[in-house]
Amino acid sequence: MIRKELVAASAEPLILSLLVKGESYGYAIIQEVKARSGGKLQWTDGMLYPVLHRMERRGLIKSRWGESETGRKRKYYSLKKDGKTAMARHHEQWLLVHGVLSGLRKEQYV
Amino acid sequence: MVFCPACERNNMFDLEQSVAEWRKQMLAAGIQTPVPLEELETHLREEIEGQVKSGLSAQQAFETAVRQVGRPDLLKQEFKKSERTFMKKTLIILAGIFGVLVGMALVMPAAHLYKEQGMVHNAIVGFSWGIPIVLLGASTTFLGFKKRKA
Repeated sequence: MIRKELVAASAEPLILSLLVKGESYGYAIIQEVKARSGGKLQWTDGMLYPVLHRMERRGLIKSRWGESETGRKRKYYSLKKDGKTAMARHHEQWLLVHGVLSGLRKEQYV
Repeated sequence: MVFCPACERNNMFDLEQSVAEWRKQMLAAGIQTPVPLEELETHLREEIEGQVKSGLSAQQAFETAVRQVGRPDLLKQEFKKSERTFMKKTLIILAGIFGVLVGMALVMPAAHLYKEQGMVHNAIVGFSWGIPIVLLGASTTFLGFKKRKA
């Protein structure tokens, strides 16, 4: 299981990167992150919503109420232009951290 | 263990009754309706459906889903946190706009005094207070907007 500070820090870049593929909703976002991480990256589901609402207020994403296939009310989120910029920035920073980390790791085996 | 009055009465699990109880607990903790409570309820129901499909009984699925969604008091805390930062940033922007208006209220009469009556001294006092205040207000507003995106 991944520690909660890292889970919290990765929430925004993950949400942005998922929404770049098209609009989605809370439950689906959580299921996809769970599946892609082999169940290791898990949020307390409810905690996703304050994050989504914060991102919406900051103008990174927008939302609309729609309906599920079974007619249930569902809130869909999609990316805005500022969200794409924020995502690019996140990717840059995470790649940098990853680069430094793997560089150091390689040196240990030299 | 989730409190479920319907189960006690007739030993049958009543999903609707249990969801209604869950809603009451959320409302009691201060989770607002319709947003975000409706959204959380949709999530709860989707989680229950998913669990039932994977083989759990309705009651087990409900209990798992309630745990997954999280404790109402902790959720409320998170929502409050994001509302507070938003309010703070909005206040910064409003303070900035107010600054610009105050500064303008000083600059405009100063310009008038200078143009119409040639009162150079009074005009300089007005400008030297007004212009910095306008600039300060404008940069505060700008900072507030930048912070909202950050």
